[in-house]
Amino acid sequence: MSETKATRTVTVENEEGIHVRAADLIAKQVRQFDAKVVLAKGSHRVEGTEVLQILSLGALPGDQVVLEADGADAEQVLDAMARLFADGFGPNE
Amino acid sequence: MKFADFISQDAICAELKATDKEGVIREIVQALLDAGRVESDEFEGVVKAILKREELGSTGIGRGVAVPHTKHPSVDQLVGTVAVSKTGVDFASLDGEPVHLFFLLISPPHRPGDHLRALENISRQLRNDTFCRFLKQAKNPADIQLVLEEADNNQFGS
Repeated sequence: MSETKATRTVTVENEEGIHVRAADLIAKQVRQFDAKVVLAKGSHRVEGTEVLQILSLGALPGDQVVLEADGADAEQVLDAMARLFADGFGPNE
Repeated sequence: MKFADFISQDAICAELKATDKEGVIREIVQALLDAGRVESDEFEGVVKAILKREELGSTGIGRGVAVPHTKHPSVDQLVGTVAVSKTGVDFASLDGEPVHLFFLLISPPHRPGDHLRALENISRQLRNDTFCRFLKQAKNPADIQLVLEEADNNQFGS
């Protein structure tokens, strides 16, 4: 299986920012794919499978987050993540 | 945002008695009530709102930590406190581990930024093992307050 890398920049669209449930959704989504994912806000970089780390981004509405994927499913995981961000992580808490 | 901006010092619990999710939430909200941060006629409403949020998915975010929270119109600024369980509580955490540290947050509606900045601060500090260990080992609310002050002064790094 060939290793691939992919990068995409997404914007936090929902009013609540990346809250606990959103961070959990991101981590669960990432775990379903064969790729290592890093989320970066400015110079702060975190593992896509770690809820606690994702929360530490403190990503507010309008913030840009860079998604970096490395692995066989790099493109697929970023497609799924982009949908998650665009959908605003489902209904508000 | 620093702990001093949202942690009610008078409501810190160093040794929770409750051993289940609802009991822990009630005990912490009671501490906020006793500290004058929650009105007595709002007590049940706040507890029920926090429990309802837990139904959407546990706020046990791993590493023995939970952040039970809700928005509630009875507060006009972010209200929060810290509580420690020596025995650990089954909180249906995301990583399945029992919870020892609780950061409970009540936010005014329409102010998601403050809630998120508090979560950011909590989660950044929790990445430091020394901070977690000191909180769990604290014997009384004054010890916990000291650990939070040291964290606010960046004494654990980030």
